[in-house]
Amino acid sequence: MGMGGVALAWLLQREGLLAKPVKTEPGAVHNLLPKKPHHPPKAKAMISFFMQGGPSQMDLCDPKPMLDKWGGKDFPEKIKYDNAAQASSKVLPSFWKFRKYGQSGMDFSELLPGFSEIADDICLIRSTHTGVNNHGQSIHSLNSGRIVSGRPSLGSWLTYGLGAENQNLPAYMVLRDPANLPVEGVLNWSPGWLPSLYQGTVVRAREPRILNLNPPAHLRGKPQENYLDFLGTLNRDHVEKLPGEMDLEARIASFELAARMQTAAADVMDVANESEATKKLYGLDMEETREFGTRCLIARRLIERGVRFVQVFTKNQYWDHHGNIKNSLPAACKKVDRPIAALVKDLKGRGLLASTVVHWGGEMGRLPVVQNEKSAGRDHNTYGFSMWLAGGGFKAGHIHGATDEWGHHAVKDVVNHYDYHATLLHLFGMDHKELTYQRGGREQSLTDNQPARVVKEILA
Amino acid sequence: MSVKTTLTITFLVATITLRAAPVLFERDIRPVLKAHCFHCHGEDGKYKGDLDLRLRRLILEGGENGPALVAGQPQKSLLLQKIRNGKMPKGQAKLTDEDIARIGEWIAQGAKTARPEPEDPDAVLITEEERNFWLFQLIKNPPVPEGAKNPIDAFLLRTLKAKGLGFSPPTDKRTLIRRATFDLTGLPPTPEEISAFINDSSPAAYPKLIDRLLASPHYGERWGRHWLDVSGYADSEGYTEKDAERGWAWRYRDYVIRAFNADMPWDRFIREQLAGDELVKPPYTNLNPEQIDKLTATGFLRMVPDGTGSGAPDQALARNRVVADTLKIVSTSFMGLTVACAQCHNHRYDPIPQEDYYKLRAIFEPGLDPKNWRTPQSRSISLFTDADRKKSAEIEEVAKKIDAERKKKIEFFIDRTLKWKLESIPNKFHEPLRAAYKTASAKRTAEQKAILKKYPSVRQISSGSLYLYDREYSAEISKLNAERKKKLAEFLERTRKKTLAAAPEDERAKLEAAAKTDAKKRTEEQKKLLTEHAGMLVEEKSLEKFDAEGARELKRLTERANYFKENLSKKVLDAMNKKAQDVRATKPEEPFIRALTEQPDKVPVTHMFYRGNHDQPKDAMKPADLRVVALKENPIPENNPELPSTGRRTAFANRLTDGTHPLTARVLVNRYWLQHFGHGIVDTLADMGKLGELPSHPELLDWLATDFMRNGWKLKRLHKLIMTSRAYQQTSRRTAKLDEIDPDNRLLGRMNVRRMEAEIIRDTILALSGRLNRELYGKPVPVMEDEVGQFVIGKENLDGERKPGKTVDLKGGQNRRSLYVQVRRSRILSLFDTFDAPTMTPNCAKRPVSTVAPQALIFMNNQFVIDQSRIMAQRLQKLAGKDLDGQLAAGWELTFGQVATKTDLTRSRDFVQKQTVLFKEKKDKQPELTALANYCQALLSANRLIYLD
Repeated sequence: MGMGGVALAWLLQREGLLAKPVKTEPGAVHNLLPKKPHHPPKAKAMISFFMQGGPSQMDLCDPKPMLDKWGGKDFPEKIKYDNAAQASSKVLPSFWKFRKYGQSGMDFSELLPGFSEIADDICLIRSTHTGVNNHGQSIHSLNSGRIVSGRPSLGSWLTYGLGAENQNLPAYMVLRDPANLPVEGVLNWSPGWLPSLYQGTVVRAREPRILNLNPPAHLRGKPQENYLDFLGTLNRDHVEKLPGEMDLEARIASFELAARMQTAAADVMDVANESEATKKLYGLDMEETREFGTRCLIARRLIERGVRFVQVFTKNQYWDHHGNIKNSLPAACKKVDRPIAALVKDLKGRGLLASTVVHWGGEMGRLPVVQNEKSAGRDHNTYGFSMWLAGGGFKAGHIHGATDEWGHHAVKDVVNHYDYHATLLHLFGMDHKELTYQRGGREQSLTDNQPARVVKEILA
Repeated sequence: MSVKTTLTITFLVATITLRAAPVLFERDIRPVLKAHCFHCHGEDGKYKGDLDLRLRRLILEGGENGPALVAGQPQKSLLLQKIRNGKMPKGQAKLTDEDIARIGEWIAQGAKTARPEPEDPDAVLITEEERNFWLFQLIKNPPVPEGAKNPIDAFLLRTLKAKGLGFSPPTDKRTLIRRATFDLTGLPPTPEEISAFINDSSPAAYPKLIDRLLASPHYGERWGRHWLDVSGYADSEGYTEKDAERGWAWRYRDYVIRAFNADMPWDRFIREQLAGDELVKPPYTNLNPEQIDKLTATGFLRMVPDGTGSGAPDQALARNRVVADTLKIVSTSFMGLTVACAQCHNHRYDPIPQEDYYKLRAIFEPGLDPKNWRTPQSRSISLFTDADRKKSAEIEEVAKKIDAERKKKIEFFIDRTLKWKLESIPNKFHEPLRAAYKTASAKRTAEQKAILKKYPSVRQISSGSLYLYDREYSAEISKLNAERKKKLAEFLERTRKKTLAAAPEDERAKLEAAAKTDAKKRTEEQKKLLTEHAGMLVEEKSLEKFDAEGARELKRLTERANYFKENLSKKVLDAMNKKAQDVRATKPEEPFIRALTEQPDKVPVTHMFYRGNHDQPKDAMKPADLRVVALKENPIPENNPELPSTGRRTAFANRLTDGTHPLTARVLVNRYWLQHFGHGIVDTLADMGKLGELPSHPELLDWLATDFMRNGWKLKRLHKLIMTSRAYQQTSRRTAKLDEIDPDNRLLGRMNVRRMEAEIIRDTILALSGRLNRELYGKPVPVMEDEVGQFVIGKENLDGERKPGKTVDLKGGQNRRSLYVQVRRSRILSLFDTFDAPTMTPNCAKRPVSTVAPQALIFMNNQFVIDQSRIMAQRLQKLAGKDLDGQLAAGWELTFGQVATKTDLTRSRDFVQKQTVLFKEKKDKQPELTALANYCQALLSANRLIYLD
């Protein structure tokens, strides 16, 4: 079987698999070929910007005039703190001014000039709720459906259910921060008990950028080409002695395919050939945004080539502003605001936004009171916080839900993590109750019997 | 789609026209109806539409809609109409066109039965036709055909000759020793072993080789691993997300390896694994090694995922799962049937009524009693001696003392912290706040609650939050230190100024100059001057003499800082914690066995479950073997009075190994055959029943089974018999004729080419690099997640946020053979996973072999491969010195077991020289070594290594 044969087998397999949605039984063969969803999808790909640590909603996109009125006074309601030593009951007003933007009149603070330009593409949810005040547990809620670790992540479910459009690149990719990993580390892209095929593939900050998919530095380029040539000769010699042995031919072909995957991976990481205008748009010309902007640009290139799910992380606790919020929040915003807005604009310009979900948010928001009176910050709040989605069938220029007048609890149209997941899967053409995996004698799912609903109000 | 339909139709026509015998209900129709219709029409007292399809008579009688059958008139028969128009059966699975046509033909022929039908439809749970299936017949001892010395060859040749074929020529000696060595030990033969074999031209050379390999301790590792697939060996409990580790499962792994190495007769091996506990008299204390082995053997029945001790949400479900999975392992291991299908209903294809499933289950329920459940922890048997226990208790006493001291210290810290927090709060609140804090939260008054709410940093002081206050203290300390530094400078200056002012005006300039002069260069006069006005040289030490007030202030600051230093709780408490831990770590480790035992005096009643649902128990079931293979008289007692346990498993194991059971020996020899030839005689290892494959050589299978049992169930003897056959020693090269007549090589007119299993690939790479650690047995080598989430060998060392700490030295453990690598279900070593190693859910009857690009990428880029290639290159440099050709030839022979030809060498040399130039250009520090390493990498990546031909 030469490459023609492999291609034919692949096409046939693809044909067969497209016939019906994925359904697993133990012992089922798994692959990343594209699979047909339950119903016609709006979204085909997703880029998730995970702001690990928890951005402060009342300083960014959920203005609360009440905080100004009560500034410095004792907070009159019940509150739960994470940090005991620095807990304070004093209300902390926002340091930043808000304005309404776009046709929709969406509020953003002055820290987010980029986001304010894409207001009319955004569906802002102000009533996100996980209700568990620790980073790890809330990350798991948003990323894998339940507070416990060990379950498959969202990206794993998507690639399990839908496969990928490009077999030369991993279906699910993670663009980590060069500095370090988010809280919970590699569990963030774990396939849990789904087959490891559905694990997120990490793009590292140094060579080899993708382990196993990129060669170690000293073998890159010509040395590896020579190695593959030499190996090819060895293998062809061998199969000549065992003519007709399909497995041997298939393995020769698998090295050829691997080499193509490698080329594809190297190509997609290389932004050098992007236009100067594009590079500028993403902030590659500026120190503060260059690194993050490059990752945003790579995310677009991945999606363009048929990768299903890309998750971009900021570094460990980058948004966990327990103190000195006055300086650290603007710095964090500066890093991501322009590049992410650029990505949304770029996707829109290329006609990709309609079928690509862009997500921005962290695992929590912050409290309306001061933490650490000496260098003010805000403590954890998972009872009501903001995130936004754009494209892929989400309603554009729309604000959904609300927190109370303090920005503490989601009080209107609450979106729990499982509602968010059900809605996402719906846009990808899948029913969250139907996308299941047989395990331990029962059908397991992302929403896992929680009272999830598709939030119709945020669909376009 | 259209091609498929055409094919089906052609096939249909052919089937119908060629069918000479009449279509009979029992043989041709009932199996179809049983598979698709009985579930609603005749089973479990369910007769939808009042229709029972189990007998022809009842079909004729029909239901609510009248007769379902008009003999001779397919068109008028409701049964056929409903099936044809797709109304029946309901749901997705429909009958095939072939089945529908056959039912039509049956009706057209007058709807005949093979024999008169019984009165009671329940009486035909199993038909004569089902009973006559080959697998349920007694194992025969067919006569060995003429024509070959080795009986295996004789049987194989007979079928080959019938097709005009014969064996292929024998393979060369190098290929043969490689094949045999990998087959029996999973490791490559060394060049020395190869030349010894080649140089021995006596006919005994090959049998001697086999004997040597069978005597190698690596034999038990290799074949033990095969058995561990079947028994579902894992070092973790699985089932829940936690996938808790199993500390002691490895003892079962070691038991298996030892059993294989000792060539333990399989009847005994089976009896020990199924009922070893019943061979040891309880209580299980002060056990001798033999007793420990027998109990360890029952680990076989404790291998399935078990979430009952690690937070399974639905306990009843989790327990049921353990029992059901255990049955699955037992049945795949010894029975070759998908018994589990009969959990919910009569088996659709094989003659296993639902009752039989629960009778089989009754054999195991005394050990796995859902009503008196024991978690994995509570089941384990301690191997602690009384002396160990005493020593342990003494150490615990010491540790507890440290714990108590620590507790006191915590109280001290809480008190200090409270005091400090109060400092920044108006005085008037101190007493009420302190009182509120000290009051138990349930007993606090509304006022107390209100004041605590106002001061959350007081309310939340607790042993758990103390560390958070450390940061505040540290800030205070550095503030105080800074202040002290500033103050000190100020006070010193103050004294100097005062001294200067007190000196006579004309001496002041001299005095200042003297003070500024380096002490060693001062003139006598200067020294004298400074002695008189000592304040000019004031230092921190002497400050008190000149400025008592300043010194007091400094002292106050120091004390205050020290006070805060004393408050820094984390270091102190952590140190005490560690001290207690260190003390506890000196306790002797308590070893356990993971075993299955029964609870004396508790004989549970096993119930059949309605449709397999564990919360809907029905009739009680007595223990028994499957009736289709059972003896006339059931040998399995409900409770053997001679044993403290029920004796059910012992009786069942005895039955399986009594030499007349139709399944056991067939299933076993078929599996051994698979591991030698790459195919089973029945290749569907997990299902040898109706839906499985028919045996390619039924008589050979029976002969092998009989021979195996009659000669003491010894596997090593069987290995030798198989491996000395001509069939095993043939070349694997295909021929056009063989490919045309027997493309899948089921007749074995040549040897099969086989890819190495995942573990063997890793072991081989380590063996070739020279790093393989050949240590036998023991605790598993740990597996951890690396920085991107791949599972690699290593000891996990993460902090609370899962940030990695220092790498833990495994001291050579990282190079141990793969079967010692921890099998944690949720963390299968990525290298193994990529090469089709099984995930144990619950076990694996036959491994799939895939060829995918990620495997190629591992050989191209994976760090393990890169590292080992380099180590192998260093080995070659040592073996062959500076001579490049020597290095290349040595690498070639080590890896492939063949001598490199001139062409091979020329190509290899060209490659390495070309790479050397490139690496030199890249400023590599050791370009020659790097190039040689890349050559080794290519050898390790080659098909010639990974496939056994």
